[in-house]
Amino acid sequence: MDYEQGMIGRGRDALEMIFDADSIKENLIDDIQIDSEIGPGAVVGTGLLDGEKATFIANDAQAINPRFNVVYFGVIGMEEAYKMALAVYNTMEADKDKPLEQKRPLVLIVDTPGNGPGKTEEIFGMNKATGGYQLALAEARKLGHPIVAMVIGRAISGAFLCHGLQADQILALDKTFGTMIHVMPLTSIARITKIDIERLEELSKDNPVFAAGVDFFHKLGGVEEIVNKVEDMKAIIKKHIAEVREAKKAGQAEKLGPWGRGALGDERGGRVVRKKIIEKMTEEYNAVADKYLNA
Amino acid sequence: MLSWDELQKAKFTETNARERAFGLVDKGTFTEFVSPRDRMPSPHLPVLGEAIGYDDGVVTGIGLIGKRPVFVVSQEGRFIGGAVGEVHGAKMVQAIKLALKAYEDVKEKYPDSYEERLPAVVISFETGGVRLHESNAGLLAHAEVMDQIQDARGKIPIIAVIGSKVGCFGGMGFVGAATDVVIMSEQGRLGLTGPEVIEQEMGKDEFDASNKALVFRTTGGKHKYIMQDANFLVKDTVGGFYQQLQEVMKLPFAEIEKFRRIGSKELVEEQLELVKLAVELGAKDSMDVWKYYGNEDPAKLVDMGPEEFLKVAKRRERKLG
Repeated sequence: MDYEQGMIGRGRDALEMIFDADSIKENLIDDIQIDSEIGPGAVVGTGLLDGEKATFIANDAQAINPRFNVVYFGVIGMEEAYKMALAVYNTMEADKDKPLEQKRPLVLIVDTPGNGPGKTEEIFGMNKATGGYQLALAEARKLGHPIVAMVIGRAISGAFLCHGLQADQILALDKTFGTMIHVMPLTSIARITKIDIERLEELSKDNPVFAAGVDFFHKLGGVEEIVNKVEDMKAIIKKHIAEVREAKKAGQAEKLGPWGRGALGDERGGRVVRKKIIEKMTEEYNAVADKYLNA
Repeated sequence: MLSWDELQKAKFTETNARERAFGLVDKGTFTEFVSPRDRMPSPHLPVLGEAIGYDDGVVTGIGLIGKRPVFVVSQEGRFIGGAVGEVHGAKMVQAIKLALKAYEDVKEKYPDSYEERLPAVVISFETGGVRLHESNAGLLAHAEVMDQIQDARGKIPIIAVIGSKVGCFGGMGFVGAATDVVIMSEQGRLGLTGPEVIEQEMGKDEFDASNKALVFRTTGGKHKYIMQDANFLVKDTVGGFYQQLQEVMKLPFAEIEKFRRIGSKELVEEQLELVKLAVELGAKDSMDVWKYYGNEDPAKLVDMGPEEFLKVAKRRERKLG
């Protein structure tokens, strides 16, 4: 394999591999400019996929944010998250007069270990920054923009929720690239839950709701497709953009995004209780709905 | 369990999730969905040798405030810290989904007067976010909740109630921020990274998690109220929150939308101004920010009772909202 080192820390390289040569324009969505000074840990802008315009949003693990010392090695800080959100809002604005099938895609290149932890972050509200970006993505997805996330490195916990889990579909490089999808390392889980690490290790071999890794996430419905070669990223992303666009045109948005991943998790046998809860709650609500809606 | 009348006077911090669910809506109107009687606990805990809870740490159901159907989600911190797994998450998600269904039904049946019957969602947070015992399922459930919140935008209000001992942290910290209205008590705490995690990641010099006063003034209700991250500050009783909910229900929906902190380009730009201020002030403590907003003697605010605090505290001024 050419990329024995994997793709961790190489968000900018991934952009070069995925988008047409010399097509990348940073901080620009059409003529709408984003302040190039803010959020160096996030790279946003426009690129071409075989001539078709797409917005990209990636982590830059090589950058440090001189104003916020928690932001390095791909951490999403407050500036980064708001910059990512602006890229999404500007994309919606640029295409506001276009019909659903012409809304441009957004490609998220995911390689992030976390949201910024820190006192300043808590005082000013890191939770709003990551939440704000997620709401922007959800809005764009519902407006018809196809959103495909490509996990090339680390997709860890809250940072993956922030940057990835609001996409229509999620792709990931296979585990030989060192791709990591998880909430927390087993050693930390053992410490916090006070469950023996041996027991956790044993379980993590075959329990998809708990174990770390791309394959388990795939079984849970959290990853749509695993990509085996970096050279294939572009073609597979394009394939999924086309698929997502078709589904939206056909009014099948329920098959996409977080809700669609729920159904997929059931289909693949990874998350089967969710559906039972949903059905039971609906049944119990229907039994009393009249009383509450006509009070 | 305490009666509804007793609950109104009871401390919010000392009640459990079910009591809060009953007490946050009109007397005698709460009906629980997927209650412990249905026996639908998490299937993932027994393999880890963990005790199950027949409600999986969250009480969901419906009640009324006036004529308005209110879908309640009430988390229980005493069960695995209120953390969200597959069952817990599905109950939360479906509560919002059902509220949206109710919205469509009410609109169809009462096309001219549906606003007085407009459904609402009230989430009483008591959680650290993802449940590590079933972490992947918990993570996916968080994304579903955010997705539903966006679906509810401009249709029905989603109201966060934060007054429990555990607070609202981790992934649920941004779910709380993404709601329309945030109601907190002084004892409530809202954030992303919990104090212990900051200390562990950044060192004791950056954050001493054992310093309770520091913890409260960084993420507690008073700070969030000054920052406008909490819209209302109420006293630590179930009745305090209930009465504030009644007030919010009287407002037209357009007014409620103005309470939002995030969810549009304009709001993101407003927040970016705040991030700039963080750099300019180089604030080492939340009290530096309180002072910046015109509170001359910020230390005094720390020990002040809620009524006096509400009278004298100066808050961040918002351009929007």
